[in-house]
Amino acid sequence: MQTARAVEALLRDLGSRLRRGEAAEAARSSHTGRLVTGLGPIDALLGGGFPRGRLCEIAGHPSSGRTSLALSLLAQTTRAGETCALVDGADGFDPSSANAAGVVLEQVLWARAPGWSEALRSTEQLLEAPGFGLVLLDLTLDPRLSRASRMHTPPATWTRLARAAAGSDSALVVLSLARNTGTAAEIVLEMRTTRASFRGSPALLEELETEARLVRHRTAPVERSVRIRLRSPHSSTA
Amino acid sequence: MPRIACCRIPDLPLSAALRADPELKGRPLAIASGPGPRAELVSVSPEAGQKGIRRLDRVAQARTLCSELCVKVASPALENAARQALLDAALSCAPRAALAAPLSGSFAAEAVVFAEASGMEAVFQSERGFATALLERVRRLGFGLGCGPWVTVASSQLVARVAARRFAIRHPEGDRVELLSPRSERAFLASLPLDLLDPGDTVQAALTRFGVRTVRDLLQLPRRALGTRLGPEVLELIACARGEASEAPLPCPTEDRRVEALDLEFAIERLEPLNFVIQGLLSRLLERLEARQLACGEILLRLDLEGGGRDARRIGLAAPSLDLRSLVRLVGHALEKHPPEAPVVGVAVETQGQPLQTDQLDLFRPAGPAPDSLGRTLARLELLCGGGRVGSPREANDHRPHRFEIEPFESRATVRSRKAQCPESGAHPPTAVLAVRALRPPVTAEVRLSGSVPDWIRSGVAHGRVLHLSGPWRITGGWWSPESRFAYDYFDVHTSDGTISRLRFDHISGAWHIDAVYD
Repeated sequence: MQTARAVEALLRDLGSRLRRGEAAEAARSSHTGRLVTGLGPIDALLGGGFPRGRLCEIAGHPSSGRTSLALSLLAQTTRAGETCALVDGADGFDPSSANAAGVVLEQVLWARAPGWSEALRSTEQLLEAPGFGLVLLDLTLDPRLSRASRMHTPPATWTRLARAAAGSDSALVVLSLARNTGTAAEIVLEMRTTRASFRGSPALLEELETEARLVRHRTAPVERSVRIRLRSPHSSTA
Repeated sequence: MPRIACCRIPDLPLSAALRADPELKGRPLAIASGPGPRAELVSVSPEAGQKGIRRLDRVAQARTLCSELCVKVASPALENAARQALLDAALSCAPRAALAAPLSGSFAAEAVVFAEASGMEAVFQSERGFATALLERVRRLGFGLGCGPWVTVASSQLVARVAARRFAIRHPEGDRVELLSPRSERAFLASLPLDLLDPGDTVQAALTRFGVRTVRDLLQLPRRALGTRLGPEVLELIACARGEASEAPLPCPTEDRRVEALDLEFAIERLEPLNFVIQGLLSRLLERLEARQLACGEILLRLDLEGGGRDARRIGLAAPSLDLRSLVRLVGHALEKHPPEAPVVGVAVETQGQPLQTDQLDLFRPAGPAPDSLGRTLARLELLCGGGRVGSPREANDHRPHRFEIEPFESRATVRSRKAQCPESGAHPPTAVLAVRALRPPVTAEVRLSGSVPDWIRSGVAHGRVLHLSGPWRITGGWWSPESRFAYDYFDVHTSDGTISRLRFDHISGAWHIDAVYD
């Protein structure tokens, strides 16, 4: 009886020393095969998060919430201790916004690719280097450029990237204006704005309500959708 | 009793040329003092020696003896780099090392480095193990192709050096490592011919007249009487012969800058051959850095141009790297972007050695990228994205919107552990915050006003009637300088196409722009 109590006390002590088990919990979650976004409805829709070793896509028009969703994923992944890479083909990453979303900036490698092809090649390089939990490829350039580039990107490029992702332990998530990746993607989410709220006097942007629709999933039913609310950084409830 | 290792390269000009161009090994090779057929040969390879070519022959004369003779012009820059490489090899084995000052006379061509051998048995099992390791590292840095190197270990720098000269003569093809025990040194020195101590010409001529040919003969003569007749030079020689010459202790160099340079025999006008030359220099530089467990931190490329001009450029790296392919391409891109203004007659590549990154793994955290592969990846990314466009993002200490900084991306073990212990890192709310996507550069917008507020917008990003609007918020600053002065009125605008953008009116230029989109 005394021995059992001593063991229990020792375990309690060890637990508090090893960061009260938080790190162990984070490590357990990070070593599962999916990266969570921290947004319950989205994670449930995806079947637990974005899978590692797969190519996934988030498509949507400007102000559809795709960047907020991507930053939320980046925040959850970096806070779990993972190193992430962001290939910014659009040069639109805003560190202040990412910081407000909870991203650990020190654990993000930001590559500001000057063009579409450089962004794709940089992504390939990053997938070849082991150790990145998430590789985020942002191709949401301005609408006209994106359409033109899409026409010139052969489908084999996405197949090659999907294979590179499969050979690594990283989840590859592509942000785009409209569906680009075709059948190479494991999951495709399409985002759409449903409502923007301006409240108060003087009026302030309060929140944005968007709809995420699952349009492709290799192992789950598709055409399901969820709605999420994105709080403005200026909102009174922030 | 101290123990000193001496590594000797008997013919530095030849070894330096072979180090720069290993394909010349096995061919008759000679190093000339200058360009043209009348220049004298300062070094001759054994293959050329077998054809009857000797030092101090003229180039034209040597060519009549051997038509396949390859003649290279002596390059002080190349030889200096080879000397520094020798020092790097010594410092990769021992904490203290120094290059011997170049000599004149019959040993002018030799290069010698001394390394502290005392106590090194603890690392290399034995003194012989240390000497063998030193020999191996010197060979690995490109000195295994010519004559030498020889490594000897003795109680003083002088004895070790003389022993290296002696063993090179006695065993030109045999074992290249020799250890002299302190007890046997005096006897060893006594049997040596006097010219191995490299006496000055005057003293040697006088001693030859006296019939003194070996060290033993010299030590039998009265010291004071010799000093009176031949001056203080002979007293120094006697001290050397007794192994009693005073020597400064070996230093512990801290300089981390390394240079590999080459004086070109012909001016290079095109970039492709220039890249080829730079690749060779970088390759040798990286070998030296690798031997010291360092990586290339930044490249300073200096080009000597025809007509006396100089071109210097600094090529920064996102992270220390040893990846030759990426570094060559980075330098190549820098040259393509701004080609040299005149043909190049000399090239020097300099770098600051930086410690290789290491990572302490965490029991409960993901491992992250390994430092060596990370360095390689960063170099390749920088090649694709351009200098200064790869790194870790930071918020800038500036109240203007969308300002940022990029810091070098490093191994994040420390950051990870700090964040893991930080209680606030786990306290962040899991709900999503509406993010902002910056537009760089801002997109010009055409705006119709209703009173003083926007009513309708046309731009490449947002287009249509304004449904909702908040603002304006005025941001001003930099008023003390005309270049940095700014004054903006910001509006959050929801247009009928569904876009919520950040519209600004620039009071200085009077123009409307969209510099961000809520997304």
